[in-house]
Amino acid sequence: MAEPSAPPILEVDGLHSGYGDVPVLKGLDFAVDSEVFAILGANGAGKTTLLATLARLLPVTDGSIRLGGKDVTAHPASETARLGIGYVPQEAAIFPDLTVFENLSIGGMIGERPLEQGLEEVFETFPDLRDKVGLRAGDLSGGESRMVACGRALMQDPSVLLLDEPTAGLSPLYVELFFQKIAEIHSGRGVTIVLTEQNATLALGVADRVMVLSLGLGSEVMTAADVTTDRLKEAYKL
Amino acid sequence: MSLDWLDAFLVSGTFGVVEIVGLGLLLHLQVGLTRIANFGVVGFWGLGLYTFGVLYVQVDWPFGEPWQFLFSALAASLAAALAGLVVAWLIADLDSDGALVGTLGFSAIVLILATTQDQLTGGALGLGGLGFPYDLGTTKANELLWLALMTALVGLILGYVWWVHRTPYGRLLIAIGSNEPLARSMGKHTTGAKLTLFAITCGLMGLLGAMHGVMVRFLDIGSLDVGITLAALAGLILGGTARVWGAVIGVLLTVGLFDIVIQFYVPLPQEWFTQAIPVLREAVFGALLVVVLLFRPQGLLGQMRRSKLIRAMHDG
Repeated sequence: MAEPSAPPILEVDGLHSGYGDVPVLKGLDFAVDSEVFAILGANGAGKTTLLATLARLLPVTDGSIRLGGKDVTAHPASETARLGIGYVPQEAAIFPDLTVFENLSIGGMIGERPLEQGLEEVFETFPDLRDKVGLRAGDLSGGESRMVACGRALMQDPSVLLLDEPTAGLSPLYVELFFQKIAEIHSGRGVTIVLTEQNATLALGVADRVMVLSLGLGSEVMTAADVTTDRLKEAYKL
Repeated sequence: MSLDWLDAFLVSGTFGVVEIVGLGLLLHLQVGLTRIANFGVVGFWGLGLYTFGVLYVQVDWPFGEPWQFLFSALAASLAAALAGLVVAWLIADLDSDGALVGTLGFSAIVLILATTQDQLTGGALGLGGLGFPYDLGTTKANELLWLALMTALVGLILGYVWWVHRTPYGRLLIAIGSNEPLARSMGKHTTGAKLTLFAITCGLMGLLGAMHGVMVRFLDIGSLDVGITLAALAGLILGGTARVWGAVIGVLLTVGLFDIVIQFYVPLPQEWFTQAIPVLREAVFGALLVVVLLFRPQGLLGQMRRSKLIRAMHDG
């Protein structure tokens, strides 16, 4: 008899969400396994809303979110974080009044991994942070802040990392570095990555599969290798 | 030992300054670290004052001092802490404006209860009968020792604030004040941390109120006006809401200036002290708040963390 297949790491069914009476996500269905999964879309498509909803910072008005087969739809953000979701918002992703060390150590407060081990792993991924641990995070450059935000989420030892436009506003040097780091985090640590991105070319360089979000609705999920300009145009409803 | 050389008003004036420093330090944890706007300081302080006074005077305790004071003060602190917990729960998800109105409303409720429940509180006429839990022979000696005890209590509060700044709990409070949704997304029970902090600090505000009751030995609803809140806020904002020493420096420069320096060392006509100075004091505090918030919103001591503190944390 065949073994029953393991449930997807992250599964979204008929997801509706929004802000108060304003619906933004209007029924999304997709499943993510151990991969880099990119969500593309223009401004206002609902990408940030989707990630904030997956992190359980916005209410689900209908549908469900399952993490490793476990229904977390009704869980508060603090519990989903403990179940393995790490979240890096596009803006306000660090605590500016705390030092780099304190930002990272706050991330390491959950889980059973020793703090030193978590820090060492973050410094392996982002060596530039090693010399900046004593600096106030609010005094760092944009690229360094993004490293701290990403490191803070990695300190949680997540199984799924949600990255909301991780390279928005960064210089080309940092953009290249960041996408390289994202690939490393996935391949080296086995962390499933769900990222949003406006720039399809950049996302396709790192993603295994992509989905296009348009006005709160999702396209079919495509493998990165199968994506063509025509399919993207159709998905973007251009 | 004769204390004739000591001006009794200097003792009570200094007591008032130390008390406001204590309230400012607690307000620093609420506003400066956790960013919970509390404009109802006098409500929690006054609840402690009146709970203590009513229990101390109206209850026929089966034991004498110092247990009568200790039980009444403990009950006053618990009442203020419980009120803090309820108020914090009600304002937990409100923005700063909502929290300001909520806490201000609470202080109005305390004033109304103190005024209308006159069988217990004495209402507008006030309630006497409070006293020191010891007797050193003279009122001045009793007051001086009480000032020393109050200073020790505020010293402990300063130590507590200092400790909070250096613990993971303190970092969590700063994180909550800085970006609560982000802290929540990292697995932190932010509401629980806020409620705990608010209950503890409001309980200590109530204890300061009970200590005040012993010093003045009389419950007066006039003490429940906005003056205490304004003094603590003005001092804290002038010194710097985010810094441990902000409340200390700021209160010394505001309340200390008016209630000690001007009162005792500036030769002004006596009638000014009963009429012009109290009004001028409130007006200056209000104007000071506006000026500081416009031109140096972070206060005299500046932003949250000193590089020295940060270095000490990493070297240690």
